[in-house]
Amino acid sequence: MTRTALVTGAGSGLGALAARRLAAAAWDVVAVDVDADGLAATARRSPNLHTRVCDVTDPDAVARVVAESGAVHRVVHAAAISPLGAALEQPLAEVERVLRVDFLGTVVVARATLPGMLARGRGELVVFSSLGAWLPGHLTSAYASAKAAVNAFVEALAVEHRGSGVTFRCVCPRQVDTPMYRAIAARHPAATGGAKGMPPGRVLDAVERSLARPEDDLYVFPDALTRATVTAKRLLPRATRHVIAARTDPHRS
Amino acid sequence: MTTTATTHVIQGETVALPVRVRDASVASAMFAVPAGPAQAVIGYSGLEVARPLPGRAICSLAFVRYADGDLGPYHEFAVAFLVRPPGRARGFGAFIHWLPVNQAFTLEAGRSIWGFPKEMADIPMDLSGRIRRCAVRVGGRTALEVAIRPGVRMPGRAAASTFDAFSCLDGVTRRVPWTMAPHGVRARPGGVSLRLGDHPVAAELRGLGLDRARALSGTCVEHLEMVFDAATEVRS
Repeated sequence: MTRTALVTGAGSGLGALAARRLAAAAWDVVAVDVDADGLAATARRSPNLHTRVCDVTDPDAVARVVAESGAVHRVVHAAAISPLGAALEQPLAEVERVLRVDFLGTVVVARATLPGMLARGRGELVVFSSLGAWLPGHLTSAYASAKAAVNAFVEALAVEHRGSGVTFRCVCPRQVDTPMYRAIAARHPAATGGAKGMPPGRVLDAVERSLARPEDDLYVFPDALTRATVTAKRLLPRATRHVIAARTDPHRS
Repeated sequence: MTTTATTHVIQGETVALPVRVRDASVASAMFAVPAGPAQAVIGYSGLEVARPLPGRAICSLAFVRYADGDLGPYHEFAVAFLVRPPGRARGFGAFIHWLPVNQAFTLEAGRSIWGFPKEMADIPMDLSGRIRRCAVRVGGRTALEVAIRPGVRMPGRAAASTFDAFSCLDGVTRRVPWTMAPHGVRARPGGVSLRLGDHPVAAELRGLGLDRARALSGTCVEHLEMVFDAATEVRS
């Protein structure tokens, strides 16, 4: 039986690759993004990949897409933005936009898709967050705050709907080699710690493996470096904070 | 030899050659099989199996996830044999004997552009776990199931290399220049489990002893880029 997946942020990066891998595996894929050209590139020569230009911060638009999609078995929510700026200097309008797209977008997508899954007693809600939610560095205050809110929201969803048959995953990768990350790294080489992004395919492999694990295994840390960093933050919070502060300092030589 | 056109219209879309694959993942297995029966399997192509060891031919099974390429995203399974390229004293080519896919666009493109023996199948695969797994189901019946263990990481990034792939459809044998650039390769001797089901190709593989053979090697490629150029007809 063909299963349906809804993938947000499918116009580029992780969302685009997730949509194409699911399409390759013969899922019916509803690919959502605000970028019509990016969506068209994702869906090229893939008749089971359907595109919908839609802003995830618009509840009515998202509800319409979900209503047209039939029973969605898996949601992959990758839509996000991450403009960098110093905590006291980033324009307030930009901070608000980051919170709207990254956090409220997650709330909107969950509210539109989760009731159907709960009613059917099965489904998978995969939300992309970030290692930044655990370890804010220089210039990431808005993005890290929004992603920390995403973590809290998905964790609350998992608590409220434990045993419902719906699997929740909150994916927290370190830097991922996507067009968005490359643009940021080019503009703020120091603030990204000079880190090379991990291949997006490896993040999706980790998500796929995680879905085979028990339902309540919420967080996905996709590689050894991400896992080591989160463990260090838990066990040695001050030292880890100092390392991150030094590595992402935009003024370091 | 005749060269095919450099553009083709597939399902209303123009496909230009060479066709490029920007992101594929692969797992494959190689088996040594008796050369005589292998030659009988591919005799219809007019090609000769290569015999790298006396009396033995090489049969290869591979499953591929195309995530980003000119023919769209799809899954594919391949049964191939190492052959001697006609008209050349040395080297090897790969004759593609069976090539089920799970999407209609690539089915039509593969058959009409290169004469690849593509047919529709359900091809569930798991390339994210430690052990790579794939099944091929045709008409609801399982043709085969394969599991390949990953092995050790091969160092460095291999340079792109060009081979000849060969196909034979409707009595026409073709040569297809095929370039591959793999990255993230793991390989080991053996480590392959194969279960053959109910399909004519499974019966052929059983006839070659694959249901009880130990694989020469299993290989997993995390990221593979490929280029397929225009086919030329091979006249015997």
